[in-house]
Amino acid sequence: MITFDKVTKKFPLGNAALSEVSFEIDDNEFVFLVGPSGAGKTSILKMITQELKPTSGSIVIDDFDITDKNFSQKINLRRKIGIIFQDFKVLIDKNVFENIAVSLKVIGADYSLIKSEVKRVLEIVGLAKKEMVFPLQLSAGELQRVAIARAVIGDRNIILADEPTGNLDPKTSWDIMKIFKKLEGKRTIIIATHNTDIVNSFQKRVLVLKEGKIIKDQRKGGYEL
Amino acid sequence: MNQILTSIRRTPYQSLSTFLVLFFTLFLSLMLFVSLTFLYSALGYLETKPQVTVYFQKKVPEDQIFKVRDELMSSGKVLNIKYTNQNEAFNIYKQLNKDNPLLLEMVSADILPPSLEIYAKKPIYLPEIAEYLKKQGDIDEVQYEKDIINKLLVLTNTIRVSVLIFFSYLILMSIVVLTTIILFKIALKENEITLLKLIGATNFYIRKPYILESLFLGIAASTLSFGIFSLLVLYFNPFLQSYLKQVTTLSVDVYNYQLVIWPLNYVFFTIVFVSISIFGAIISSVASYIATNKYLRV
Repeated sequence: MITFDKVTKKFPLGNAALSEVSFEIDDNEFVFLVGPSGAGKTSILKMITQELKPTSGSIVIDDFDITDKNFSQKINLRRKIGIIFQDFKVLIDKNVFENIAVSLKVIGADYSLIKSEVKRVLEIVGLAKKEMVFPLQLSAGELQRVAIARAVIGDRNIILADEPTGNLDPKTSWDIMKIFKKLEGKRTIIIATHNTDIVNSFQKRVLVLKEGKIIKDQRKGGYEL
Repeated sequence: MNQILTSIRRTPYQSLSTFLVLFFTLFLSLMLFVSLTFLYSALGYLETKPQVTVYFQKKVPEDQIFKVRDELMSSGKVLNIKYTNQNEAFNIYKQLNKDNPLLLEMVSADILPPSLEIYAKKPIYLPEIAEYLKKQGDIDEVQYEKDIINKLLVLTNTIRVSVLIFFSYLILMSIVVLTTIILFKIALKENEITLLKLIGATNFYIRKPYILESLFLGIAASTLSFGIFSLLVLYFNPFLQSYLKQVTTLSVDVYNYQLVIWPLNYVFFTIVFVSISIFGAIISSVASYIATNKYLRV
């Protein structure tokens, strides 16, 4: 479970990214974060990964208060989180297999486990025959599939996606969202997006943000501002 | 190893720059280190020579000479004193001039003075000992290698301070230059490092390839420095042998172990190689550690 309790983030110049934001996300829940640019969607994701620290308020993930000064499980927490970026962030000097394997390598997994797990997630994202291909030979949709595979491999039970379809054409965007659909109910999935069609068609929980505040929290909502 | 070579191949100019800076630093350090070691051992060698020789007048009884000897020994500044009586002095004279019968005929034991050869614990005690002896009665002459010892002391101290300053500057400069070069290299991988941090990699996991590559370059540069140094030593060996032909052994005291540096030997060369490799490995690792720090704050 992820709990934000009155979380505020102010930057040194005084501009606030978030103002007293509170919400709870259950395990294996599927949530969309929507709102205009600068509303605070990415800030929420960055606080979950501890790239940003809140100015005030508390964030609890799986019973750990990550805003506690004595919290020392940053690395272990990050090992439970898979991240998907708009610009994919695949490693161009590594092939598909190596790009996905890195997620398990950092936790010191055995090569045999890495091999079988990579094979399994490649099946999920539909890249089973491209494990030795390098990123420069892949399309944007395929690159995002690699990023998803890297995010979901292993025991990463929280998947954060920041505009995962932002750089993709409509058809590819739908293909990518089908992968998220497959993972529904198995992981906690939080997707920050501008894509109205996708949010409306999924009919999942939607947190609407505006100027750093949550203005709507709909259980089976659509994209409304 | 494959990862290291691949990384070097992918950023050849940065790797070459790192290697050249390391080579420059290590080669200079090696030359300084060996030169200083030779200077110290030369000083040590001179310290083993009779430093003060006092010649007594021929009439002086042995008791009086022994009294002077005992007083000097009890001063705590003297390592050893060797007494040479007139007969022993004559034997030495005969030995030195055995090929010249004319000189042997002209001299007898009676005309040679008894003497004390005094070895000080430290060269700085020499003037004091010499002054003390000059104040004693019945002294014919006091000889000591004042100029040589003084010059050597001044030279060694000057070199020690200069080397320390130069060496510190060299290390600082190398680490700064190496850090900058490695930073360029790492900057190309900023996205990768950020990603690794976000998926839970430890700092050690991220640093390891950069530190291993630097270690490889450090050891390669120290090996090349040592190789060139060895060739230079071999080239100048005949000159050194003729210059140091009077010197049987030069050694330095390393934690109570007498390390022989002349004649040149494998033990000395091995120690030099190991030391320069460790030094190369340390400065290259420190530089890559500092460089990676900048990108590990995610």
